[in-house]
Amino acid sequence: MESQQNDYHISFFKPTTEIARLNRNIVVILVCIWTLAIFGFQIALKVFEKPTPEPAYLAYEQVWDQVRSGNAAEEDLQVFAQVSLSVLGKNFIDPVYRTALDNGLSWALNNLAGPEKGPLLKEQVTEFEKLRAGIENITDPEYVNAKKELASLSAPLLGLSEMDVRTSLISIELSSSMMDILSQESKEAIPGAMSLYLIHPQSFLTDGRILGFPFHYFYTAIFLLVLFVGLCWLYCVRTDHRNALLGIKD
Amino acid sequence: MKKIFLPLLFVLLPSVLSAATGATELEGSFKLGPSIILITILCLFVLVGIFFRAKDTTDFYAAGRGISRVGSGMAIASNWMSAASFLGMAALMYGTGYHGLSYVVGWTGGYVLLLVLMASQIRKYGKYTAADFIGDRYYSQSLRAVGAIIAILISISYCVGQFGGIGLMFKWVMGIPYGWSVVIGGTVVLAYTLISGMLGVTKNMQIQYVIIIISFLIPLFILTFKFDYFWLLPQIGYGAVVSDIVTGIPLSETQQLVNSLGHEFAMVPAPEYVMPWDPATGQTFYQWIAISFSLMVGTAGLPHVIQRFYVVPKASDARWSVVWGLFFICILYWSAPVYAAFGKVLSANPEVGRLAKDAIVVYTAQLGNVHPLIVGLLAAGGVSAAFSTVSGLLVAGASAFAHDLYVKTINPDASPKKQLMFARMGTILMAAIVTAIALAKLALIAQLVAVAFSLAGCTIFPLFLLGIWWSGSNRQGATAGLIAGGLVSLIALTYFIAGKTGTTLPAHDFISYWLGAWYFGIIGAPLAIITHIIVARLTPETPIEIRKFLIEKVHAQ
Repeated sequence: MESQQNDYHISFFKPTTEIARLNRNIVVILVCIWTLAIFGFQIALKVFEKPTPEPAYLAYEQVWDQVRSGNAAEEDLQVFAQVSLSVLGKNFIDPVYRTALDNGLSWALNNLAGPEKGPLLKEQVTEFEKLRAGIENITDPEYVNAKKELASLSAPLLGLSEMDVRTSLISIELSSSMMDILSQESKEAIPGAMSLYLIHPQSFLTDGRILGFPFHYFYTAIFLLVLFVGLCWLYCVRTDHRNALLGIKD
Repeated sequence: MKKIFLPLLFVLLPSVLSAATGATELEGSFKLGPSIILITILCLFVLVGIFFRAKDTTDFYAAGRGISRVGSGMAIASNWMSAASFLGMAALMYGTGYHGLSYVVGWTGGYVLLLVLMASQIRKYGKYTAADFIGDRYYSQSLRAVGAIIAILISISYCVGQFGGIGLMFKWVMGIPYGWSVVIGGTVVLAYTLISGMLGVTKNMQIQYVIIIISFLIPLFILTFKFDYFWLLPQIGYGAVVSDIVTGIPLSETQQLVNSLGHEFAMVPAPEYVMPWDPATGQTFYQWIAISFSLMVGTAGLPHVIQRFYVVPKASDARWSVVWGLFFICILYWSAPVYAAFGKVLSANPEVGRLAKDAIVVYTAQLGNVHPLIVGLLAAGGVSAAFSTVSGLLVAGASAFAHDLYVKTINPDASPKKQLMFARMGTILMAAIVTAIALAKLALIAQLVAVAFSLAGCTIFPLFLLGIWWSGSNRQGATAGLIAGGLVSLIALTYFIAGKTGTTLPAHDFISYWLGAWYFGIIGAPLAIITHIIVARLTPETPIEIRKFLIEKVHAQ
């Protein structure tokens, strides 16, 4: 036996028998495909990615300087409030950023309401906050109506239609205690929040679509798993075939 | 069996249906319908165990020998699909989007390594436990004992996540605080293990797989149908949901569909959910790679996974059972992201508040207005997934305690009665330790389970990989590799626990990032392998009997 001449030494990379050599070859091929498919693709995603802002971020960039300096026109305040709502509507926002954006939104709305409507609006926000603190269930009809009423009062001021998804967020994000002033802390936090939540690493690999999925998501969540099953199947078939050829029985 | 189940069904069905309407709140009070479903399923498992009980010890150890490759694959899948798969993966994807897919890839890709590098060779080696292999291959009783201790630690770490899942589901079903849920759930699973742990395990695993997968899939068909996506194959149909999350869902396109809290099925654009390692998720490229790598090498080093290959009749069965097992596992893993994506949209309104991520599978079904009984079945499926894994892990841990530690290294003359007593004591002790750790709620379920994978990747995986494929691997190399892998594990876990207790250690941020508790395997496994090789080359070679055995038995055919 070949291996006996080798004093019973065995190494994956230095096979001493034909079977071991064939096995090594198929294993190396499969592991190479496996490695490239998993890590190669993720590396490609990393290499090709570039920071891509959402349209909301571009709009924010155009108005932020005026808003921060207190010289914003009505349209600028509307854009700023709309963008703030675009961020506040995302699921997981850092509490510090949420407070800053709530401040920005409340303050912008108060400014848009002006001296005439402002006090009335603030009163309604206060009433809504009291109601909200007292309810047991957010499906409470009185609460739902109050929420809609406040939203329909505020939405036109912010330039939002009733059919805009952000309109449903207004009532729950307003804070009566933050309506008078845009604090220094908020001014400092808001740019960070906007860039963190509105700029995303994207590339042609993420922009393409396949079966409704973004390409990279389909590749990782669906295709890779199919590939793993396929590689395992191939290995078994090849091994059975090889064993049959060489007359090996389990 | 019909004699038992049909009357049971007639007695329970009316009360189940009448209780169904009371279970629409996300959290809240005791839910009768889901409770009855849960209890019925647990009773079913025990009864199946009794009906298909092993007649003797040989039957028990060779449980898989009488079943087909497909059946064996189902048993592998059931054994594998824990609370981490059933609840944890969707939780991670819900919280971190694309980052969560590193767990999906890690927990499936590892099977390719397991198959091509180990499955049939382990079967040919012919030992019953991981510690047995280590003790024999490295001709060392000390290493056998260390292997057994590591197997116990891995089982404990793995079980903590499962107990967390059981606690969450019991909390949801019974409407009691998490702490009590863990204690009650832990007690139930311990009783279940002691009663059924030695019964018809493999048959039970096949039935558990069917229940787990059916309970997981039914709500997906309903959700995709209800919200007007391609429902015939939800695993593909949800692609449009993912794209909708990127672009946002305008109110005008929701067709007045609302969640159970009255919010429209609409949301602002949230590309951070889909884009890889988006800064908004707080996760990085390194973490993605590190997690998937650690989980993959961990998969190929987990004692209770490796052990499954000892009980198939032939090496080719071991190979094919991996293929079928992986396919059955993938059915769940293709599906889990669907819950996360729907959960993302259905809880998009900030008013829904911060949901417990680990229960997002159940919350998504509830928010999607799926019938409460089906949600109850889903929760019962989650508990079943945890139970099927925990009972196996507790038995495996207890075996390591009683067989590998006590009998093989301390008292070889122990009577069978004494061995059994030690196995039971080991089971109870492990359950108590796991309950205590689970109460601390250290992290998400999947993350806690990932710790076990990194631990296995740093310790057991190198021993098996080199032990099988390189005759130059010797006792000294194995010891050195274990020390290296163990040290990395110790450092990572020390920093993790210190962080949880508010203690800051030197270079805390640096170590916590590069040696994260759920992915330290990326550093530990290669380091252990390299150390093992270097030391083995500098020390006396492996005895010829072992080299001969490797050539003639493990690799000759």
